[in-house]
Amino acid sequence: MGYLRRLPRFDYLAPRTVDEACSALAERRGDARLFAGGTDLVLQMKRREITPRAIIGLKGVASLSVIRSQAGGIAIGAMTTFGAIESSPLIREKHDFLCETAAGIGSPEIRAVATVGGNLSGALPCADFPAPLMTLGAIVRLRSVRGERALALEDFFMGFAETAAAPDEILTEIELPSRPGFSAGAYVKFHDRHAMDMTTTGVAAFVTWDRARGLIGDVRIALSVSGPVPLRVKNAEAALRGRRLTEEALVEAGLLACREAQPRASWRAREEFRRELIGVLTQRALRQAGEKARVAAERGNA
Amino acid sequence: MTVQACGDYAIIGKPAPKKDAWIKVTGEAKYADDLFLAGMLHGKLLRSPHPHAKISHIDTSRAEKLAGVRAVITGKDFPGIKYGNMPQTRDYLPLALDKVRYIGDEVAAVAAIDEEVAEEALDLIRVEYEPLPAVFDAEEAMKPGAPQLHDHAANNMSAETAFQFGDVAKGFAESDYLQEDLFETQPVKQGMLEPHACIGQWDETGKITLWASKQSPYVVWKQLSMGLGIETSRIRVIQTYVGGGFSGGKQEAMPMDFCAVVLSKKCGRPVKFVHNMDEVLTIGHMRHPMKIWLRTGVKKDGTLLAQHLKIVADGGAYSSIGQLSMYLPGAMLNLPYRVPNVKYEAYRIFTNNGFCGALRGHTIPQVCFARDSQLDLIAEKLGLDPIDIRLKNGLRPGETTPNGFRIGTFGFAECVEKAMEASGWKEKRGKLPRYRGIGMGCGSLVSGARVMGHSASTAQVNVHEDGTVALVTGSTDVGQGADTVLSMIAAEVLGVGLEDIRFSLVDTDITPADPGTFSSRVTFWTGNAVKIAAEDARRQLAEIAAEKLKAQIDDDIVFRDRQVYVKSDPQRRLRFDELVRLAQHRQGKVIMGKGAYTSGEALIDFRTGYGNMSPAYTPSACVVEVEVDPQTGQVTVAGVWGAHDCGFPLNPMLVKGQVLGATVMGIGQALYENLLRVDGKVMNPSFRDYKMPLTEDMPRLANVGHVNVITNDPSGPFGAKEAGEGAAAGVIAAVANAVYNATGVRFRSLPFSPDKILFALKESDRKAPAR
Repeated sequence: MGYLRRLPRFDYLAPRTVDEACSALAERRGDARLFAGGTDLVLQMKRREITPRAIIGLKGVASLSVIRSQAGGIAIGAMTTFGAIESSPLIREKHDFLCETAAGIGSPEIRAVATVGGNLSGALPCADFPAPLMTLGAIVRLRSVRGERALALEDFFMGFAETAAAPDEILTEIELPSRPGFSAGAYVKFHDRHAMDMTTTGVAAFVTWDRARGLIGDVRIALSVSGPVPLRVKNAEAALRGRRLTEEALVEAGLLACREAQPRASWRAREEFRRELIGVLTQRALRQAGEKARVAAERGNA
Repeated sequence: MTVQACGDYAIIGKPAPKKDAWIKVTGEAKYADDLFLAGMLHGKLLRSPHPHAKISHIDTSRAEKLAGVRAVITGKDFPGIKYGNMPQTRDYLPLALDKVRYIGDEVAAVAAIDEEVAEEALDLIRVEYEPLPAVFDAEEAMKPGAPQLHDHAANNMSAETAFQFGDVAKGFAESDYLQEDLFETQPVKQGMLEPHACIGQWDETGKITLWASKQSPYVVWKQLSMGLGIETSRIRVIQTYVGGGFSGGKQEAMPMDFCAVVLSKKCGRPVKFVHNMDEVLTIGHMRHPMKIWLRTGVKKDGTLLAQHLKIVADGGAYSSIGQLSMYLPGAMLNLPYRVPNVKYEAYRIFTNNGFCGALRGHTIPQVCFARDSQLDLIAEKLGLDPIDIRLKNGLRPGETTPNGFRIGTFGFAECVEKAMEASGWKEKRGKLPRYRGIGMGCGSLVSGARVMGHSASTAQVNVHEDGTVALVTGSTDVGQGADTVLSMIAAEVLGVGLEDIRFSLVDTDITPADPGTFSSRVTFWTGNAVKIAAEDARRQLAEIAAEKLKAQIDDDIVFRDRQVYVKSDPQRRLRFDELVRLAQHRQGKVIMGKGAYTSGEALIDFRTGYGNMSPAYTPSACVVEVEVDPQTGQVTVAGVWGAHDCGFPLNPMLVKGQVLGATVMGIGQALYENLLRVDGKVMNPSFRDYKMPLTEDMPRLANVGHVNVITNDPSGPFGAKEAGEGAAAGVIAAVANAVYNATGVRFRSLPFSPDKILFALKESDRKAPAR
């Protein structure tokens, strides 16, 4: 039976640096799990879906929860909580819709512990943060005793709860390139209740306005809970480039996004319902982001 | 007993925060799980993973050998006596003996030194099951050849009711218009935040003590006695603070209670059980899901002539109080509207789902949803205003309904008018933009009911020498505010402060017997008992005061503001505490008042349905305004306004809290809540996935209104009637009618989920693109 239980016994390791964490993970390879906010992991352990011998708590690794400006953009430490993202002046300045997205996740209590790294590394289809980050061209940095590598977030998700990170690798940082001029993003999601609910489906859109021609310049659209992994809908994107921001264009993009999505039917929602929502939310996200980018362009506010 | 004129009260009728608010918000209040007894062990229950199976063998030997395990028990450790509420419904066993009937049925229990070991031991119990075919749908379960759950119940018939008052055929024949609809409701959980918890102790003298979170401790006491085959004198139930009741199991003895005491007997140590929330949401006690068929005959002017109601309810695996559950919808169809001819047939069917019972309003909200939805359908067909059809048919004080309910005070018309006024109905109805709508729903409830066995409430008022009072009743505060309201009644009568009254928790060895907290009976029944007891104490004190103050006893000694004085000469006075000391120290008296109340109403045969169930009935009306997102199907409740005839609000702050709480639960059932099951397995046993409405789902406070309709019921304490359940009855229909008003689409099946609404809107657009 899947009743929640007390936590199973495990060793708790508390590294203070990324190097220590990497060594611990390499040493306990196979029977250790990284612990970020724990909002998913604790439940999985209480249900005995996983029973790691060791838990490597990353809370003591201070360098992992830094949000900083860097050449060519910003970097967000993997242990940054949604609460911290929500109230970060730097993120608000560069990508304000990420603050709104963070503010819409769970409850204040959840946001105080849940981290962006956990949201990505868990690779659960219901996660809200991957899609908006994908529209921004995010890069993830992975560290291990073997060294460091960077990977486009788009290439990070391999399947349900599966990522490209090797068993000894730790997601340390998410890098976001500088925002092009006259651009804006939006993330629109639906759940049954008005707040504090699991996402039925969500759509992120990022629009760069072609100021000279008054048209949509570049556009990226990514979907949450619309397939086993967060996905870009590139046909919908292609259909919009160089178009005017009209209802017709939005409807067309919505239909294309629906077609590219692979939502599943579950007891939480029927596939048909999710498809309907993907169409509507794609339009809403594009309208929000597009309007914002257009207004920025018209006012000359890069 | 004197009936005082309302208005001149010192305490009654004024808003007062709950007496236990402070200790609850500071965490001082001890709930069952906060209690630790020396040497206490921790218990866990093994539950059936099968919806329906025979148990061929249980091997507990490996579990018993696990270090830290003190005892393991199975059904064989009990005498095998089935227990329950009424003779016809006794089908509970503490632990299954030969058969399990739903996923979650209790099979074995472990006591160990901590919860971890107890859980580990559960894995080591080997149960050999022979799975049996299972049935999850009530109508399927009624068919010949369906899997049978209980030997005594042919065709899985758990409870059956049929009655007719008047002549329905004649009523339909005389009608100008007939409306017939099928409605469907979903399983809904109580959602109390405190899970069930208890500590059981079987001491060396053979005395059994159970500390537990219980809303009706005396029911628990009797059921423990029944199921253990042990006289009640050897059993003591001590109530702890209750974190919400709603009849979610705390009104009965549960398997955990039996297992705690029997494991304690085996181990010689107290044993604690606490359910996890996923257990709470998986196991029985929930609102009955129903198919409701309703046919109504009306005259052209909207006068109701006849109603025929048929119900098939999925009762789940056990009876609970099924016979009563099936009586209520037909009985309450007689309120708040005048229906001269009523026919009713109801079937409660056993299935391999978690079992159903009561939940705020019991089985009444389901029928109010159907009936008040249908009233709007009829009004539209006949071109009548939905308000007019309600007012035209509303019962008036002094009437007797076809099933024998004697209507005393009944401010139905005032409820409808006040709800209209508060909501701005006239300015809004028909004038709101598309996808915004407003609707009304009405309902009615009892103020407690005469039930089988012991029905009376009793109170003791023990006046102490410092002028304070210990109020002892058998009633429990489950968060509704009984501690405060009952104390207010005593304080008013004795002229002392609310803070001078101490309200005790129930201890069956000490407090007077009481049926429990259900059917909105506590304020009315126990309140009357408290008033009588306080008046008894006051009479004893008045005699002594009259002598001391040299007044004729007839002079009417006044008790007010902790002072006692002669009405005709207020200068002749004494402090209340002085008077008590005079009585106790000088005269050697003990001031103890006692009082009992029972309504004297008929005991109703739930199968024939005739008789006056309750001493007083309350009507209510609710208006809901919604906005529907046509692209996602999501409903936003923009406003909710209610009016409720509670007789007289003893504590308006608590009445408002009760009414709003009931309203929120109604909105929850209308829009969000649904216990989802796939082949009997609950898919959403957490508050993340079992979606109760949250603050964000509620309208802004400015758009929430509540009006008390005051009718001063002569039989209620200080004029009071029910206040906590009736207000929920009309809410679901109000939401349904508002959604219809907003979209033009009628929903007959609950909940009104976004998916359902979105696809119904698409379908309606396809049929009639230009609305």
